[in-house]
Amino acid sequence: MSGLSLYYKEARYDLLSIVRTPAFVLPALAFPLMFYLFFGVFFRGGAGADYLLVTYSCFGIMGPAMFNFAAGIASDRAHGWLTLKQLSPMPFSAYLLGKLSTSLVFSMVILLLLFSAGALLGKVELHTSQWLLLALTMLLGTLPFALLGLLLGLSLSDKAAPGVVNLLYLPMAFLSGLWLPLFLFPGWLQQLAWIWPSFHLSQLGLKVIAQDQGVAIGWHLLVLLVTTLLLALACARRFRQL
Amino acid sequence: MQANTEAVLAVNTLHKAYNRQPVLQGVSVDLAAGEILAILGPNGAGKTTLISAILGLVKVDGGDISLFGQRQQGSKRSSALRQRLGVMMQIGTASANLTVAEQCDLFASYYRNGKTVAELLQIAGLQAQAHNRFGLLSGGQKQRLLFALALAGKPDLVFLDEPTLGMDVQARRALWQQIRELKQSGVSIVLTTHYLEEAEQLADSIAVLQGGQIVAQGSPAQLTAQISGKQIYCHTLLSDQQLLALPAVVQLERQQHRICLVSQAAEQTVLALLQADANVSALEVKAVALEQAFLQLTTQEEVA
Repeated sequence: MSGLSLYYKEARYDLLSIVRTPAFVLPALAFPLMFYLFFGVFFRGGAGADYLLVTYSCFGIMGPAMFNFAAGIASDRAHGWLTLKQLSPMPFSAYLLGKLSTSLVFSMVILLLLFSAGALLGKVELHTSQWLLLALTMLLGTLPFALLGLLLGLSLSDKAAPGVVNLLYLPMAFLSGLWLPLFLFPGWLQQLAWIWPSFHLSQLGLKVIAQDQGVAIGWHLLVLLVTTLLLALACARRFRQL
Repeated sequence: MQANTEAVLAVNTLHKAYNRQPVLQGVSVDLAAGEILAILGPNGAGKTTLISAILGLVKVDGGDISLFGQRQQGSKRSSALRQRLGVMMQIGTASANLTVAEQCDLFASYYRNGKTVAELLQIAGLQAQAHNRFGLLSGGQKQRLLFALALAGKPDLVFLDEPTLGMDVQARRALWQQIRELKQSGVSIVLTTHYLEEAEQLADSIAVLQGGQIVAQGSPAQLTAQISGKQIYCHTLLSDQQLLALPAVVQLERQQHRICLVSQAAEQTVLALLQADANVSALEVKAVALEQAFLQLTTQEEVA
């Protein structure tokens, strides 16, 4: 047995082992939905439900991508499971693609939940092409956060990883304007948002509904691409040092 | 060179230091095809580092490693090579949330010629626990699963780092039997242990590792001879002083009814003993048991 079935099994069992951890699944799915319902739908009578749908989608996909990679890999490293896999002929790409597919499944479920809440409760009305483009943007946008999680998972102990991810995830989400719209922030904080990949991803999403800050699409794509590339290089470097 | 004595593993003057603390100091061992090599030593002797170096998990500072006659460059091990290896590491756990059968299915899928889940469950003796999650298994059951996973790819060479650690006597003997059967099926095995009995029972050759150096090497019989001492048991009326004055005697121990001398040249000692006391009875000459050889080696090292 080899080839595709190996990749399929790696992905399937990675997902299975995460799904069997309710302490991971429930917060990952419930937090973005809960926040969106509260701030986007019920707060202020649902004004800005479409804007916040985009930013909470971004918030929702970041978490599982970073946590599944960081905590999962740090724990596999700590318990010797990654070592056993490295010593087997398993291609490392199977391991990474397995984790990535788990993150994408979580992203899809979260987007489905949020889009449903937006459409049914928030009265968000978008064209089919906008719904699809928004979903595609967010799914592709999962990648840099997965790589960030991978880098943390390769560098940190299993005890430190979840804490450090939170330390990065929550401020990054807030400072990128994912919880409260960025235009409510003081000017210098709006400038600072440029350093966060989540800011650029949310702006790409907001472009789909024409509510972005008006920066050319190329800039956001460029920053995300460069960030992704740098993270991939750092991961490759870190991996060789293992 | 005969085909069956081809070295599957050859390690030559391996050096490794962590933060300038030497862990391996010129270690050389080799393993002929179809044999079992035991690396015997106390905790902290460098056994796991040696295995890790062979497997490419740690970079070495000097020395050569060959596997199946191929010299290994740096810490990279080819995928083709990994197809032929099976490994059970000391700190080994599987994913806590997957069941025994799922782990077997996953691991077997990594190999071109993997065993079936049913075969692996049988090796682990965990058919009844097939649907239990790894996290809920007992320590011994986990070890058995990891042993089975090491065999998932029908390997030619298996590394077992302290395979019976934490097992009770019964489980340990059962695993020994499986290791013997594995050898009979033609698999070469490297195992580390700090149980002398384990090495003595299983190994074709033993390398005693102490403080990062191989202090003795050979078959269990050779190793015993290498220590060179013989034990002489008898009943005698001679005093301690008289006994210790006999030629070649290095040690004296009084047991309940008899004495035990350790001699470097048993023939000379026995001759002088019979001359000194014509009433010697129940005379017995034995090779020093490996346990004592091992103790002797390790205590010598500590003194030095």
